[in-house]
Amino acid sequence: MSDFQRIEFYKPSSHKYQLLPFRFTELNHQSYVVTNLAGEFVILPKELIPKLINHDLSDDNSFYVELRARHFLVDQSTAIAPDLLAIKLRSRYDRLADFTSLHMIVVTLRCEHSCHYCQVSRKSNNRLQFDMSIADADAALDLVLRSPSPAIKIEFQGGEPLLNFGLIQHIVREAKRRSASKRLAFVIATNLALVDQEMLAFCYEHNINISTSLDGPRDLHNANRPRPGNDSYEKAIAGIRLVREVLGKDKVSALMTTTEASLGRIKDIVDEYLSQDFAGIFLRPLSPHGFAIKTKAYMRYNTDRWLDFYRQGLEYIIALNKQGIALTEFYASTILAKMFTSRDPGFVDLMSPSGIGIAAVIYNYDGYVYASDESRMMAETGDKHFQLGHVRHSSYADIFLSPKLLEPLQDSFAYSNPMCHDCAFEPYCGADPVFHWALYKDHVGRKPESEFCRRNMAIFRHLITLMEDDPFVKRLFLKWANRC
Amino acid sequence: MLKLSGRIDPIDQRAYTQSALLTITTDPFLPLPIRDRFALLTDRPVDVTGYGSQLISNGSERSESSLSDAVIYRLPTHFNYLKSGDIVYIDGPRQFLNTLFRKDSHHNSILLTEQCNNYCLMCSQPPKEIDDSYLLRRAFELVRLIPKDAQRLGFTGGEPTLYGDSLIELIKQTKLQLPSTSIDILSNGRRFKDREFARRFAGIKHPECTIAIPVYSDDPVRHDYVVQALGAFDETIQGILNLKRFGQRVEIRIVLHKQTIDRLVQTCEFICRNLLFVDHVALMGLEITGFTRTNLDLLWIDPYNYKDTLSEAVHTLRSYGMSASVYNHQLCVVNNDIEGSYRKSISDWKNEYLESCVSCARKCECGGFFSSSKMYKHSEYIKPFA
Amino acid sequence: MKIDVTFDLAVFSLDAVKTACYKFLDRFTSDIELCDGRIICHLTFDDKSSEVQISANVDNLKKEALDQDLRLKLKTETEPIRNLILAHAFSKTGLIADE
Repeated sequence: MSDFQRIEFYKPSSHKYQLLPFRFTELNHQSYVVTNLAGEFVILPKELIPKLINHDLSDDNSFYVELRARHFLVDQSTAIAPDLLAIKLRSRYDRLADFTSLHMIVVTLRCEHSCHYCQVSRKSNNRLQFDMSIADADAALDLVLRSPSPAIKIEFQGGEPLLNFGLIQHIVREAKRRSASKRLAFVIATNLALVDQEMLAFCYEHNINISTSLDGPRDLHNANRPRPGNDSYEKAIAGIRLVREVLGKDKVSALMTTTEASLGRIKDIVDEYLSQDFAGIFLRPLSPHGFAIKTKAYMRYNTDRWLDFYRQGLEYIIALNKQGIALTEFYASTILAKMFTSRDPGFVDLMSPSGIGIAAVIYNYDGYVYASDESRMMAETGDKHFQLGHVRHSSYADIFLSPKLLEPLQDSFAYSNPMCHDCAFEPYCGADPVFHWALYKDHVGRKPESEFCRRNMAIFRHLITLMEDDPFVKRLFLKWANRC
Repeated sequence: MLKLSGRIDPIDQRAYTQSALLTITTDPFLPLPIRDRFALLTDRPVDVTGYGSQLISNGSERSESSLSDAVIYRLPTHFNYLKSGDIVYIDGPRQFLNTLFRKDSHHNSILLTEQCNNYCLMCSQPPKEIDDSYLLRRAFELVRLIPKDAQRLGFTGGEPTLYGDSLIELIKQTKLQLPSTSIDILSNGRRFKDREFARRFAGIKHPECTIAIPVYSDDPVRHDYVVQALGAFDETIQGILNLKRFGQRVEIRIVLHKQTIDRLVQTCEFICRNLLFVDHVALMGLEITGFTRTNLDLLWIDPYNYKDTLSEAVHTLRSYGMSASVYNHQLCVVNNDIEGSYRKSISDWKNEYLESCVSCARKCECGGFFSSSKMYKHSEYIKPFA
Repeated sequence: MKIDVTFDLAVFSLDAVKTACYKFLDRFTSDIELCDGRIICHLTFDDKSSEVQISANVDNLKKEALDQDLRLKLKTETEPIRNLILAHAFSKTGLIADE
């Protein structure tokens, strides 16, 4: 029997190591967040960074072992890191080649609500002017099915899509008839005020999901979303109940919109989602587009106040989880998926290259095709910068090779932008050319001045800090990361 | 614990020179043409010819036989578990019997070699540098005798892949002889770093074959140290990657002891970030046998003291949707948050319980102890559930 | 109101400075000339501009020049990887000719 060697025998004989590609950005006064090629992060005390980079970090240092195992450096003891990094990197970009998987179809611009933040709807009975024609719907479907994505989600938007339910039925039937090879999913984004049994029977038959708006408790919701009778909340709640009865509990999800009135009410809003028995809540920032700017809603509202709102909301939700109530916050879980897995959660606003066109596209009621939902809203205020073509007058190539799509894609590519290029958080962040165009008339903006950048960096730092400070949160966030 | 091998006495001290692989039967009237494949298990010599052997189970009584051409052995009492359908190897010159297959067992294992290119600190089958390729040849014969309805079969060593393409041939034969038996192969995976070897292995197209490969740490130095082989980590990971490239089922095993527990959670994170495509992760308790006893001071940590780390590791694996199992632990030394992954697992020929376990309300759910653990070292926190 | 802003040619590319000046077309006119290794921008503001506005715009121009200079460098340096990833995105659409 030979002797057993001590562990020293297996350590590299030379103290030299090579650095693998990584970036580092400040987390707080004491530490940096360091991310590798695959987006995995390590927190390092600041004083170690110069040592690491100057090849002065001793292999006795506990961080050394961590950095080697997590693919930030290599030494003589192992050569497999490049292979594993390559696999992880490929996984991150896997979904890209599937191309456009989310297709939004605006079946009508008509709506009976007049929500303050709404950027599009028209109170009108003029079906001819504001409903999508069947010819345009069929042409849109041609483009939808042309996408190479094996899974297609068609989301019906408006105005209020239920006001043109007949067209929804037509599109669903046609889509199913014409596509054998694709996995089709359907969602209707509706305020549910007009939903009835007949519509739900159709949804049941064709496995259609519902996405609705719930801004918070009654007073908040109704103040944001006026309609004749001032009963938007009551209608929404009744609608949710009905949908759950007919289609099932997990077939309806809710989105909230943050307004000036929401700030300061975060606990009430989360409580509302709890009492309506939702599995999670998406704490969204207010998008800086369209009517919202005109009504000065956006002026009164700014990044810092929203960040307070978000942090308080997250704190409350974590406390609920500590009590055993499993509520998820979806903006965090999207980011956490990018931090902890190589899966792309497919959230258009946090993708680089940007998800405009190549992940999601929208076909407007008038047949015009836009690179994103926000950009069709911009068009309503006169800015057609992201209008790519028309369903009946443009070919697939016209639309998806349009310079109006390719330029913002290339310009906003995060790795090509100053500050993003060196930012440790870049793997978690995204390019949002539409946001930056709306605010700065530039696809990129200057990152130090960009509210998008400021907001996201604050959230990344906040999520990481929460995990560092509390093992419960680390466990919880790991679960959230694997949700989507 | 069952003894699977031991001396057997030829009746009347005759010297038998033949060796044979035989299936046990208690039927003295099998058709003549097939008798030579069987060993007749009986409590006294029977006046029939043609059996490969006769095994006398009440071995204390002196027996006689008038059959001068029959091969008859007395079995010591520890072989009392043998029954019809079991398969044994009788070594005539050495007067030895090995039980190779037990019909009642849920999981039989075939030892293919004791040679290995790793030298794990806790190896339960310490490597021997002798030519034991007879074990491989015997295995070819064995898979022809094993009943077709056997559900699971394991191949172990040493390191089975040291046989290279001969191993591939064996697995192919196993597939042909036992098409509905699922098999697992314990291997350090290093041979599969050779892409073409992995490709040829995949060419067997076995419908249900799992290769169980240990990865002891995310730290290459720590892994190499535990397996006592420089460069083993890289080769093992490369082997896993190649096997998955060719669509093979791979399970990763981690034996829990003082040298692996410190980075257990990080190792599980490593698996989930880099090897999420493996099919299963098994976290195994330490068996106090072989090299483990030699290296006990390096290895021993009371499982009760790592139960929170174990919980964290299981939580990590589960969060990523990785199928995970915990083997070879007692219920009273683990947290109940892992119980979805807890397996009552110690092989039926190895497991036992302590005296204090008699009153335990959950004894039937618990895997108990390795006999070696009971004898030499086990947790100090064993306590029956009320 | 005229004011000069100078950029060191060793630090800033001419293209970057021109792009930056272009962005402020609506706020001032730029006369750009090279002299002794420096880029000199002669800026002309209209009479309505206040001192505060002029100062803010000059600051803004400098920031913009830095931004554009970095953008140009990075755009060139990262062109291969950017093209690779975008090509991968379009790879199954049938819109890209195989090479």
